[in-house]
This record gives sequence, C-alpha cells and structure tokens, in this order.
Amino acid sequence: MAFTNLMLVFIFNLLYLSLSSGIEIPEEFQKSNHTNNWAVLVDTSRFWFNYRHVANVLSIYRSVKRLGIPDSQIILMISDDMACNPRNPRPATIFNSAHEQINVYGDDVEVDYRGYEVSVENFIRLLTGRVPPDTPRSKQLLTDEGSNILIYLTGHGGDGFLKFQDSEEVTSQELADALEQMWQKKRYNEIFFIIDTCQASSMYEKFYSPNILATASSLVGEDSLSHHVDSAIGVYIIDRYTYYVLEFLENVHPNSQRTMSEFLAVCPKSACLSTVGVRKDLFHRDPSKVPITDFFGSVRPVILTTDPINIVETPKRKKKTENKTKIQVKRDYVPQFPMHLVQVT
Amino acid sequence: MYQSNRMWASASFVGVLIIIGMPLWWKTTEVYRVSLPYEKISSFKPLSHFVTTELKVLANDDATASKIVSEIQKAFAESDIIKIKIEKTVMSERQQHILRSVVDMEKAVEELASTLDLDQENIFHVVQKKSLSHNIWVGNERIMFFDDEKASETIVKALDGWIYQTSVLRGSRSDTPDQARSTRFPPESAYHITLSIVHPRPDTMKVVWNAAEAVEDYIGSFVDELSSLHNFTLKSQWLHLLDFDFQAREVKEVSEWGRHFAVRQDRLSLLLTRLEERAATHVSELSTINLALYIVPCDKAPIIIYDNEGRKNPLSIQAFMSPKWGGVVIASPPAEQCSQQVREFEPSVGQIMGAFVSHLRELLGITKKDAIEGAHLEPSRSVSPRRWEVDALLRIRTLEQVTSAERTLQSLAQLLEEISNIVINDEVGASIAAAVSELEAGAGEGAGADAARAGRAHAHAQRAFTHPGLLALLYFPDDQKYAIYIPLFLPIMFPVVLSLRILLLWFMGKPVHKEKTD
Repeated sequence: MAFTNLMLVFIFNLLYLSLSSGIEIPEEFQKSNHTNNWAVLVDTSRFWFNYRHVANVLSIYRSVKRLGIPDSQIILMISDDMACNPRNPRPATIFNSAHEQINVYGDDVEVDYRGYEVSVENFIRLLTGRVPPDTPRSKQLLTDEGSNILIYLTGHGGDGFLKFQDSEEVTSQELADALEQMWQKKRYNEIFFIIDTCQASSMYEKFYSPNILATASSLVGEDSLSHHVDSAIGVYIIDRYTYYVLEFLENVHPNSQRTMSEFLAVCPKSACLSTVGVRKDLFHRDPSKVPITDFFGSVRPVILTTDPINIVETPKRKKKTENKTKIQVKRDYVPQFPMHLVQVT
Repeated sequence: MYQSNRMWASASFVGVLIIIGMPLWWKTTEVYRVSLPYEKISSFKPLSHFVTTELKVLANDDATASKIVSEIQKAFAESDIIKIKIEKTVMSERQQHILRSVVDMEKAVEELASTLDLDQENIFHVVQKKSLSHNIWVGNERIMFFDDEKASETIVKALDGWIYQTSVLRGSRSDTPDQARSTRFPPESAYHITLSIVHPRPDTMKVVWNAAEAVEDYIGSFVDELSSLHNFTLKSQWLHLLDFDFQAREVKEVSEWGRHFAVRQDRLSLLLTRLEERAATHVSELSTINLALYIVPCDKAPIIIYDNEGRKNPLSIQAFMSPKWGGVVIASPPAEQCSQQVREFEPSVGQIMGAFVSHLRELLGITKKDAIEGAHLEPSRSVSPRRWEVDALLRIRTLEQVTSAERTLQSLAQLLEEISNIVINDEVGASIAAAVSELEAGAGEGAGADAARAGRAHAHAQRAFTHPGLLALLYFPDDQKYAIYIPLFLPIMFPVVLSLRILLLWFMGKPVHKEKTD
C-alpha cells in the first residue's frame, strides 16, 4: 500500500516536471552580454567582372554603418579596383542595383585593406591578432571578450576553400583554426558568420569553437547565383543572396525588433535558387529570440556622471627641470658649383 | 656473378633510399619547434591566486583590540581571494592624547602620521577614536577611525567593500568579466590620454581655455600617483567646426536663459562616433583614453542631459563617460556672455577637470564606493586618488595580470600541442620561458612589489601569444605535406620495395628463383 503510494507520488512528480520543464529557456540566457560590436567585411576577388562582389560588400558596409557601427570598428577589405577602373562607365561610383540609385562607394568609404593587401595571410593575421608590430590601429581587430563580431565573406569559393585575389586559397580548416585561436584569446563574445560564394556552406562545416552562428548562401554542390545585369555598366551588379539580405536590412532601423531567425530565413529557394545553409549548433542562444541589432547594430554604453570630484585647490604638477641648452646650429647651402676644383685665373 | 652484382646494386638502392633517405627526409621536413615547459604551464591554476595584505589594529585597551581583530579574522577566514595578516596593538599614551585632544579628523591623521608610518604601501591601519559622529570614518590616508567595539560589523563591511574590494578582486580573477572589468581599460604598460576641446562654432564665440596647462596640472598630478602601474602620455588638441546634432528638445523654464535643451541619453553614444571621426586617436599603437570637452554654441545652449527614464540631470556639470573609451563634458556658456556683442566664454577649469578626473578614476580601475550605513567616507577634494585606493588598484591589477598571463599561456600551450605543425621560433620560446619564470617566482602572492613582476609576466605572455612569427609559414597541415612528397617518391620506392623480398632471399642464401625440377 505504501509502495503504491510512493509510486503514484513518483509518477506524479515525473509528469509535473516533464510538463513544466525547460521548453522555454530562461530569460537571462537570451539576453546578450556584449559590450561592443565589430564588423569584418571581406571581398576576396578582384578584376572588373567580379564587380558584384565589391557591390555586395559595400552594400553590407553601408547597412552596418547606418545601423550604428562606427568606422573605427569596421574592418573593410576590398581590392578597390572597381571605382577607378578604366572600364567603369560611371567613374568613382559603385552601384548595387541596375536603377543606380545608391552609390555605395560614396566619398566617405574607409577601406582598411586594399588591393594586394587582401591576402590570406593578412586575413588570418587580422583575425588572430598576430599582426606585425608596426601595423596601425585602424588595421587591427581590437576586439575583447565582450565583442560581437559580424564576419561577411564574398567572392569565389569551392568545396572547402575560398579563393583570395585569384592566386591563393584559404581552407575551411584554417578558418576554423583561426576562429578557435580567437576564442582561446577571448577575442569575441559571439560571431555571426555570413558567406556568399559558391558551395559556401563547406567553409563553416569545420568550425568547432562555441558562440558562432553561421549562414551561407549555398550548400556544398550548389552554385550561388548573381541577381541581375546592369546593361549600362555591363556586368552583373549584385548577387542573389546579398540582394535579398539588403532588402531585409532596408527595413531594419536601430530600434528594430526583428530577430536573427528572420534573417536566416531571408532567402527561400524560390528566390535564391540555391539553398541557404545555416549552422546553429555552436550558438547557445535561440536565434528566434536574438534581436538583429545584436550583430548589425552597435552597443555603446553611456554612464552619466553623478559624482564629479570637487577640486578645492588647483594642483600644480612638479615639472622635471630640463637642462637642455640649445646650441645654435649654423646652416647654409652646399656650394652650387664646385668652384674649388676650377682654376680661377 | 652477375646475380651478385645485381643484388648488390639493388641493395645499394635500398640502402640509400630507405635507410639513409627516409630518415633524412623526415628530419629535414620537421617543423622547427622550440621545446616549451608544457608541464609547468598545465600545472598553473589561474583561479587559485590571491593577494596578501597587512592590517594593524590600534585600540585604547586590549579587550577592544582583541574583539575587533577576532571579528575581522572571522569575516575574512573563508576568503580565498585575500589573506590578511592582522597585528593588534594598544595605543601609547601620546597617541591616545592626540586622538582625545584633536577634534578635526584631517588634523588627527596628520598628527598621528608622525607616530605611525602611513606611507608604507599595502598596510592599512584601523585606529580607535572615541566620540566619532559615525561608527567609522575613512579619509584619504591609509587609516580608518572607529568608535568602539560595537562598530566591528561596520568595520568589516567597510574593509570588504571599500578598502579591499573583494568583489572587484574576485571579478578580476574570474573567467567572465564583471562590471568593473568591463568598465576599466585592459591592463597595459602605457596609455595615451588625449583631451580634445570641441568647438563647433569658433566664428561666433571665443573660448578661453589653456588646454595644455589643464592637462599637465590636473591630469598630470593624477597620473603621477599611478606611475608605478602605467606610463602615461598626455596630449591635448582643439577640434574646430566639429558639429553634432543632439536632436535636443527645447524646454521653457524660468531661468536666466528662459529655456534649456533636453538631450536624451541614448543620443549621446552617437556623439562618440562623431568624435572618433576627427579625434585622431589611432595615431599611436597604445590605447588612448579620450577626454572631450564639447562647447555648446549660444543658440543651442544650455544643454541638459535627461537619462533613459526621463529624469533631468540635476548637477551643474553635464558629463558622461563610456566604458573603455573615455569621457565627455558638455559645457554651456552663461547667458550674459551670449547676450554680448563679443562673446567670450571661459569654462570653469576646476569643475570640468573634476568631472574628467572622476571619469579617469573609473576608467583606470578605481571603482565607485557604495554607501555603508554608519560609515563615513570623506569625499575626495583633491585630484590625487586616495592612498588606499592606489593600493587596492595595485592588488586588482596584479591579480588580473597574473591570471590573464596564466590563461594565455595555457591556451597557447594547448593550441601549440593541438596544431602540431606550427613553427615555434626562438623568440616565442624565450617569451614563454620568461613569462613562466616570472610566474613561478611568485608573482601571484602579495601585491606592491609583485605588481611589477605580474606586469612583466603579462607582457611576456601577450608577446608570446601575439607574436607574428606564429604564422610565418602559414603552417602546412600534414596532409598537404604528404600530398607533395608522395607523388614524387612513391613511383621510385615501388620497385625498391618489391626487390626487398628477392634481396632477403639472396642474403639468406636461399635460391632466388625456383629451380625447375623435372
């Protein structure tokens, strides 16, 4: 009798726990704890016929700037040979649609790595922080443990590699190792990785570091297609995946409530003609509860000063007396003509 | 005979290719890796470090002193982050006389300083002074006055929250950053401090402000106290014609202006973006602490910041700071200056620099002190930080740098073991060895003298981890190495390996070919 009571209590507890247990992840795990936002935007191809890749990257650059990330926290790597290319019928401009409404190059674009500086070595050095000691700060990724980074890559890719500048490749294993080294050095809080190339999802298959949400424009075996031609310029002007991403981002403003899962579903197969791949097993939050501004917008906490110091007496710093006597250096010109070699009679 | 020539020829092929060639190839294609002290590195325990400090308790009689000492010992016995060596003394007649006769607290401290040594770092004094208006009193020097033994609870709370800041110490050691660590700049050996005066409309108003002198005197005096921790380079600049649209809302009121402009707090972060465009803070490779003074033009003055809840900032000085970036003061000219023909605005140097110094304190690691019931903390009236605050900062930075150095070394060792074909050159090996030797020499325990050791360990570990040489060959994965050599050598090795069987048979004296027997 007592035993059956015990069993009933046990079964009742099990039922109660299973019905009320965590289908809903508690609120504190959903809130992000990042303190700043960075973006790394890379176009890995060059030459005139790859116009669409530069337009891709610069359109994302403009969106990210509009949503608040400052230039000092955007690393833009493009080969920068489009706007002033002799074949460009609209010099000093790059457009991302045939209507030629927005000049995404503009006059305030800040390119950090241009031309042949966009190489695999520089990209991996940028990510891992192992830059040469004389690298200027604007070319370094100065992230810390509270940074959310948006990484966007575009260009020509294949199964397991991404082609850089038509001469070298970065493999998916190298990229995964670089991200792991970033994690070990606590150089990021969360990463959102977007890649728009052919067979793009092979690049994120090898990732093994936590807190990475990755999306690709096509799966292995599929090609990522471009969207349309601008007959006035004569080349394909934007890629399909990025075109629909930009359409989505046009409706996002700094206080937007749109979530990451809406972003991940932005291009169905009917529109993109390639299947968009997503990798969320390394990401510990539920993408449908993560606001898009966690990666595309910028957090800059501001704390109002409530207790300034009330300085009573003016301080005076003890100056170190410098005993530098200035020696007047007499300067004059070197003789214009070596008269001392000429016999003057 | 011909057979033996053939056999010796085959044997020489086998000898050169397999016995000499293979080991030579293996040796010459191995990656140069300096040997690292992996066992020492894996034996580090970053979460086990603590700081030590000394405390001297002086009371009028032995009973009070013992009671206070036992209370403090009980409170800090369980603490794994700080170990306090407590010494108790009964005060001499002279000291008791000073404390009875002198009423003013600052003067009492001055008089007592002759009998106690208050300048020794990392030693704090808890002294009894009867008839205090609060339970305890804390000032700028390393001394705390308490009333009687009933104040023991307040003493413990003040020691925990103000003097030793155990929560901040714990945060500096932990894996995930706490509020204080997210606010202060990461530990480095040197910083730049740039004071920018932003003057959007220089044609309408003249601003009288000697930036170089202000920076040198006020900020210079402040950072001189921290010279044992970091080096500072002080710079100042004027940014003219840098305008920012605050999107301020005009609010009518009764005052000399008749109005003020309300700016929302969430708009202020965009001001920082605008400042970054022109402030040229990236000219050096060191981190820069940005201090900006924004002079509001007359037609947009005065500006008052409203916080996110819509409350007006009641202070006379409108200022804000951003963690790990710097601070901004928004100065509005007075109404009578704006009504004149020739406008001249001289901002109040002391007030503005007071706001900047409070920003600098937080950005360099001196946290705000919460109020404790019954305890009085004398508000700071000078630019220099309090002596015990500098001690606390030294302790926090030591712990932070030691744990960061150990974590860096551990993750570097793990990475180098995992990716077996990264080249480890001599410089990296030397940096790692230097860091390990500093850490082993006891950088973790204590503070003050060991802050320098912790700083060196941290710098060595950082240099090892971010050495550009750890990428020099863009290390070849093993499968790529084999993919190069196998197509080159496999076709050659094929007949050599096949002839091994025949060679063995010949050496052992057995017939090489099966003889036909009828």
